[in-house]
Amino acid sequence: MMRWIGPLAVFIITAVGAHWATLQYTPSVIMDRTLSTLKNRGISQHAFTTPQRISPSTQVVVRTSPDLFYSLCRYDLSEPGSALRVTMGEWPDYQSLSFFDGDTNNFQRFRGQGETVSVRMVHNKRELPAPDTITSPTPRGVVLLRRLAPTQEAFDAAKEASKEDMCELVTR
Amino acid sequence: MIRYALGAILGAALGIASALYLAGLWPGMKPLDFGNVDVDGWRSDFAIGSEAADPYTRARVARHGLLALAKSEAVYFTRTTDAGGNPLRQECEYALIGGDMPAQWWSITLYNAESYLPDNADDALSVDATSVSGEAEEWDALISSDRPEPGINWISSRNAGKFDLTLRLYVPDEALFDNPAAVFDPPVVQRLSCEGDAA
Repeated sequence: MMRWIGPLAVFIITAVGAHWATLQYTPSVIMDRTLSTLKNRGISQHAFTTPQRISPSTQVVVRTSPDLFYSLCRYDLSEPGSALRVTMGEWPDYQSLSFFDGDTNNFQRFRGQGETVSVRMVHNKRELPAPDTITSPTPRGVVLLRRLAPTQEAFDAAKEASKEDMCELVTR
Repeated sequence: MIRYALGAILGAALGIASALYLAGLWPGMKPLDFGNVDVDGWRSDFAIGSEAADPYTRARVARHGLLALAKSEAVYFTRTTDAGGNPLRQECEYALIGGDMPAQWWSITLYNAESYLPDNADDALSVDATSVSGEAEEWDALISSDRPEPGINWISSRNAGKFDLTLRLYVPDEALFDNPAAVFDPPVVQRLSCEGDAA
């Protein structure tokens, strides 16, 4: 019996450690795979990419809405001194800008019906807070812009409005 | 030495499997398995789009609510059955009857069992607050695999097999989160007929 005490202790410690590690790292693994998938599907880094209107033949992600105009921008702020400048152009109906970090958290969001929204984002947490500046908890992530566009005409108009959108890496 | 290795292997397997199961990441588990809100058969998971406090919810939301809008921007309700409790399927026609919603804008979209839009070219994947004709307080739509006559609000179920409906509420009223049943009167899905019904 005594000879099983050591292996039993190893079993318990390993089980607890594996359980904790699985929970801890699952979000970052999922986001890492998502960023790779987006890259492989042509989603630009530091620029908004406007996909086609969602339809049965263009959908690539489950449960996407055919009523929205989606625009995506991957970012990487691991370079010291780098920042991301993001602008969401004017749109008369509902629109929003969502920021997701490398752990899939939606750490910042803006709504901008009928107005232009501009924001600067950094990763360096030591940088002093500044107006219109937000901090990404992780160096990498994705910005997702949504516009309400339930018809082909509205989608075309949203695409036209997207010419005022910007997702740009700037360095000091 | 073999006993120690065996303990480590079994411990790791148990730890990983239990974490995946408790976080809802076990293969085959769907978002609806964790819905914590049910209003007349329309189920929702209010943890999606909110700041998750515990690691299990964080991992689950990372998988099932990836890139979802924040709760303040949109909430999602899904139902898989008609008012009689029968699974929704393309062989049947349904009337979707609804009214005003506690949100700035809403839409209802049909997805197949794999959570994709059904493979058809009917251009009738959803209805929304701006597309339904009639009064905001009372509207109806037809769910069927055959195109109805012009003027009828229509969601096509062609090639959908068994399907579900997802209702999106954009910029929902805050009262919805406190007591959904008190402020949300969801649409009713009534089965009209099915292929093979006695004439």
